Amino acid sequence: MIKKKVKIINKLGLHARASSKLTQLASQFNSEIFLIKNSKKVSANNIMDILMLAASVGSEVELEVNGPDEKEAINKIEKLFKNYFDEGE
Amino acid sequence: MVSFNIHGVPVSNGIAIGTSHLISNALLEVVRYDIKDTKIDLEVKRFKKALAKVKNELSLIKKQLLVDSNSQFVPFIDTHLMLLCDKNISDEPIHSIKNERCNAEWAIKIQLDLIIERFNEIEDPYIKERKHDVVQVVERVIKVLLGHQKQRINFKNESSIILVAQDISPADTLQFKNHKYGAFITEMGGANSHTAILARSLNIPSIVAVRNAKKLIKNNDTLIVDGNQGIVIINPSFAILDEYQYKQNLWEIEQKKLIKIRNVRCKTLGNETISLHANIEIPEDIKYVKENNADGIGLFRTEFLFMNRPALPDEEEQFRIYKSVAKSMGNLPVVIRTLDSGADKNTAADNNKKSNSALGLRAIRLCLSEPHLFTTQLKAILRASAFGNIRILIPMLSSLQELRQTKMLIERAKQSLKNSKIKFNDKILVGGMIEVPAVAINADIFANELDFLSIGTNDLVQYTLAIDRTDDSVSHLYNSLHSAVLSLIDNTIKAGKKYNKEVAICGEMAGDPKLTKLLLGMGLTHFSMHPASILIVKKQVLSSDPKKIKIKANKILRSIEPDNIENLIQDINK
Repeated sequence: MIKKKVKIINKLGLHARASSKLTQLASQFNSEIFLIKNSKKVSANNIMDILMLAASVGSEVELEVNGPDEKEAINKIEKLFKNYFDEGE
Repeated sequence: MVSFNIHGVPVSNGIAIGTSHLISNALLEVVRYDIKDTKIDLEVKRFKKALAKVKNELSLIKKQLLVDSNSQFVPFIDTHLMLLCDKNISDEPIHSIKNERCNAEWAIKIQLDLIIERFNEIEDPYIKERKHDVVQVVERVIKVLLGHQKQRINFKNESSIILVAQDISPADTLQFKNHKYGAFITEMGGANSHTAILARSLNIPSIVAVRNAKKLIKNNDTLIVDGNQGIVIINPSFAILDEYQYKQNLWEIEQKKLIKIRNVRCKTLGNETISLHANIEIPEDIKYVKENNADGIGLFRTEFLFMNRPALPDEEEQFRIYKSVAKSMGNLPVVIRTLDSGADKNTAADNNKKSNSALGLRAIRLCLSEPHLFTTQLKAILRASAFGNIRILIPMLSSLQELRQTKMLIERAKQSLKNSKIKFNDKILVGGMIEVPAVAINADIFANELDFLSIGTNDLVQYTLAIDRTDDSVSHLYNSLHSAVLSLIDNTIKAGKKYNKEVAICGEMAGDPKLTKLLLGMGLTHFSMHPASILIVKKQVLSSDPKKIKIKANKILRSIEPDNIENLIQDINK
């Protein structure tokens, strides 16, 4: 199991499209992927739960990945956060 | 269970005893009903099928967007697709169906309410607004479910169902027309809200402006609705229940007695014949017109043909409807009011109109600004006039220019039919609604230029007293008996007499038996109302002595003391 903290840097935060990108990416791996914020833990496969974390710009979430491809998964997901969810800002 | 009473404004008489059914706000038509144990698997299947159908719909939209190179919208559709597959929407309702044994619509609706509640706690305004995406997705699913359900839903005994809703919009009323529910209770609205008008037209007890009704009443509570007093009794004791069953029987006997005067000619004790016409909204209402033996149709509100549909009905479709109504009434008059859309009644013709104001672009104003739409309707009405006694009624006139423009468009429509050698009644009568105070004040001028006048008291009161009919916080100020309103009605009736033109009232006042004698005393001879009111109004006419009520009506017209008017009304009805 790998845990890692990531910061939300895109302007709109984990809104609908960003969340759907995250959900899409997460579904490609065999590992279980969770997001933790303010001690709320949700599965990265549930877009609604991610939305309801209400992670806005500047906030920090913890990724928790557990499974055979956990290393690749956490790297790719972290990259998505760092790339502003491909939104450019 | 604790028994308690809540109060509201009674808008339709009668007593109903039954069980409550709460209607959700987001989609008014969603009601809860129980699913038998043996049918639960079927209900789950129905739910899953609906999800699959919506998924299919969304995928098709996405494909179309890609073809039309509108790909910037694709991520939104992707989001909706993902929301649809999220366990909150795709799994949770299934648990509810199984555990609560409720229908799929209700299961997903309560889940939506939960989700919205959680979204409302979010502070980030942008993410908070995403709840609208969830609502849109759920609405899609519910629409599919309801589409399937139309044949399936079957309340065993509709008349024992009491609907409890926040409000009922005009468009929703159409759906309730085919059902005979026991009663309506709404949190919003006043005596002249659409719920009230609907309830009166269906002749079922109804109470509006019952604050917090949806919080205080639970599903399947036993309720007594006393539409005479405006009282709702929740979980009544056996003694109270007995008492009301007795009262209900008495009321029903009273109603049945009315049927005896169905075929009696409608005249006063002075032998003056009074015409009682019916207001209708859809051709199916003809059934009630016949049941109550109306002398004709005084108001066919055509806007209901235009509601609840994405595209407007074309000339052919309208022609068929008007023709069928005209034919079914034989030689009796059928007054067709042209589209009175806008304000609280929206149709596809109102697309993109930001303001819904009662003072805005509506009725004849809208029609004159959309001559194509108007001409289509005029041609359909004219064509149908070859098959019966049809008249045209223009809503919401406020100036002579509008009237003249309208007449010009009617002439053009006639000319175009003549050119195509299509039959119609060239002498068709054209009347105007008197509902804007300016026109009531100048009734003389309009009586001279029109073939007949019809007073729309609902809007006349609203405009004269500056009361928004849709705002329940001012509904107590709505007063049909305000001396200014009565004087405008009086002025209009006199103008009609002067130019020998027929004057009718087609608003709620015409169907209120408490006001029949006053209006007769003021010289009114034509009343148009909901078919359900015809017999009770007829009963009033039959017992009216013209000489006596004329004197008393004059007294009411001269009275300026609001408190005194109630007494005088009681006196004239003695």
